[in-house]
Amino acid sequence: MRHNFKYTLKILFQNKALIFWTFAFPIILGTFFNMAFSDIEKNEKLAIIDVAVVKNEKFENDEFLKNALKILSDKKNKDQLFNIEYVNQKQAKKLLVEDKITGYLIVTNKPKIVIKSNGINETIFKYIIEEITTTKKMVNIIANNRLYKEIPTNKISNIENFYTSIYKKILSLKDESINIKDISNKNLSYTMIEFYTLIAMACLYGGIIGMTAINNNLPNMSNKGKRIAISSIPKKKLLLSTVAASYLVQLIGLILLFIYTIFILKIDYGDNIFLIILLSLVSSLAGLSLGITVSCLIKSSENTKTGIILALTMFCCFLSGMMGITMKYIIDKNIPLLNKINPASMITDGFYSLYYYDTLSRYTKNIISLLIFSIILLVIATFCLRRQKYDNI
Amino acid sequence: MIIFKTFLKILLKNKFIIITYTAILIFFGCFNTQTNDNTTNFSATKPDILIINKDENKGLTKDLITYLNKNSNIKKIPDKKYSLDDALFYRDVNYIIYIPKDFREDFLANKNPQIKIKSTKDYQASLAEMMLKRYLKTATIYHSEIPNEKDLLESINSTLKVSTQIQMTTKLNTNSLNKMISYYNFANYSILAGCVYVICLILSSFKEKSIRKRTIISSLKSSTYNLNLLLSNSLFALILWIFYVILSIILVGNAMFTPHGILLIINSFIFTLCALTLAFFIGTLLSNKNAINGIVNVIALGSSFLCGSFVPIEYLPKSVTQIAHILPSYYYIKNNELIKKIEIINLKTINEVLINGIILIIFILIFILLTNIISKKRRDFSYQ
Repeated sequence: MRHNFKYTLKILFQNKALIFWTFAFPIILGTFFNMAFSDIEKNEKLAIIDVAVVKNEKFENDEFLKNALKILSDKKNKDQLFNIEYVNQKQAKKLLVEDKITGYLIVTNKPKIVIKSNGINETIFKYIIEEITTTKKMVNIIANNRLYKEIPTNKISNIENFYTSIYKKILSLKDESINIKDISNKNLSYTMIEFYTLIAMACLYGGIIGMTAINNNLPNMSNKGKRIAISSIPKKKLLLSTVAASYLVQLIGLILLFIYTIFILKIDYGDNIFLIILLSLVSSLAGLSLGITVSCLIKSSENTKTGIILALTMFCCFLSGMMGITMKYIIDKNIPLLNKINPASMITDGFYSLYYYDTLSRYTKNIISLLIFSIILLVIATFCLRRQKYDNI
Repeated sequence: MIIFKTFLKILLKNKFIIITYTAILIFFGCFNTQTNDNTTNFSATKPDILIINKDENKGLTKDLITYLNKNSNIKKIPDKKYSLDDALFYRDVNYIIYIPKDFREDFLANKNPQIKIKSTKDYQASLAEMMLKRYLKTATIYHSEIPNEKDLLESINSTLKVSTQIQMTTKLNTNSLNKMISYYNFANYSILAGCVYVICLILSSFKEKSIRKRTIISSLKSSTYNLNLLLSNSLFALILWIFYVILSIILVGNAMFTPHGILLIINSFIFTLCALTLAFFIGTLLSNKNAINGIVNVIALGSSFLCGSFVPIEYLPKSVTQIAHILPSYYYIKNNELIKKIEIINLKTINEVLINGIILIIFILIFILLTNIISKKRRDFSYQ
């Protein structure tokens, strides 16, 4: 048994294509993911928007607008929203054509915004200018309301002071006095899903290792298989040592991938190391059983078997969000059954629930599903491998 | 001619695997091109929000929801155990607003009730938060002056109705352009993977030792042999390219026949030639048939990720785009992005596009040259 274990390890490690797909490829792909996705979420956060304001007489006279824009573009203000250039109309047009600014504001009778095309920055620009106009209007409405009430009582002596006091009152209402409480989870980085699908892919690719190892023992695959089949060692021992050796190889690959993603790519798998290890062990088992079952059920060349596992893995990973993160969500929402039987989805969802949720019920459900998946496949494989007889090979 | 015949023979022999491979690439390509309605008028970006209202739907609460409804897309997701948090994580909604029980009453009684929110903290969420704050702020200010709810709502609405005049300068239909660009950017992967895979597969058959020996002792010149092989392979690349162009016309429609569309098609043609010569170069270097799959994935995926085929180029880190300068895909995708921005097409505006095109042609020449040098060297050394 130890002999077979040792030689299976040797055979597996010497297979260059195998080592490429199971060890190197996930690491290469992870590097690509990291290069492409590392800045995406940073770019989605609200940044300071570059805009221009046309300096004309009407704008110079509008103290209210001038002041408001000054506050919004103040570099010392932590809520600075705009980076404003004050220019003439010709320069503003030029800046817009050259894509230096999102848009520019020109005050004619009313404020007008000139932009190039639709977009989120443009919407925010428009929204803020509207808010400034709104505040102005609010002063008027409140003033009218008070005037209506207070003129008969002759309380108002100086009309200018009266407006200033209302204006000050409105400005004094800070954002903080609005009672909004953010209760969202701190772990919201959705690009993590890409790396979780990567782990899922590596685990399922591990199936190729199991397949190669089992193929070595199958009499209909090679002469080596024939020799092993007629040897006096019990089948049970042979298979067990083969499977154990391929599981070991698979885990070594997975450990390398984890080390690489955690220490070099800085991927966050959540805090509970023990649960991460448990999920990885179960996930690898699922991959292994997939490989063994394909190897036993499908009677054809090794290349075809590899092709089937690669294609199946890719398809499962596609459904669990590797080629587009929302794919998993779309499937979960519309065809939940599909993702409940998809091992890549179970693995991805397991890591996702460790990362995102505080409770463990969803994680446990994934672990149990993966175990059931592996057991079913292993039972099928055992039935196929038992009492094999060949009239001729 | 004999080379071309052999080429066709091998191509037909592998037709099943080639068709499957191309079909998968096309499937992903189609999937990647999302559909959008097209418009050239200003339409404000609307964040996707979700409102969980525990209060009675009347008065101030109703008015708040109506206001949010007008300015954002309100999503309806059943409030099941994980569904809301999942929706937030996968950006199905950007902002969740929990309106507490008795919100209206507490607000009118000046108790300043708390509204809980969940946010993705991106642009859309910031916009949603601005809206919510704007409404609450307006309501708070007015409420200190106007205690009556009906008058209060009237004042709030007349204030929030204000809208700024917008003028849009672009005459381009940005949505169909975006669709075209995303399709052609993805084609970088499909064309590269398709060319490298098939051409390497065919070349490896030509390189079997006995066949190679026979070709070498024939009177055929090495460069003529390479040229013949290259031309035969061009046929495959050409068919692949035509296929993608036809598919883009089916997917995007008439917009492909605008000057922008034509420029994109020309750009993709030059890139296909580049992919062809690159594939030819790799095929010459490669001696192991089993390595093809790995090489294809590393090269096609690598240049697609690094050059902005999957993720828009402006989202990539600076260091990555710096490295990408050494890859032909970078110039192809850069050109697509440049074409997107051109308003009027004339010699001055497409100047930069032309320069990138020339760089692609230089790549083509370098690959041909390298292929010839290497195949000659290999012959001299290995079969003496």
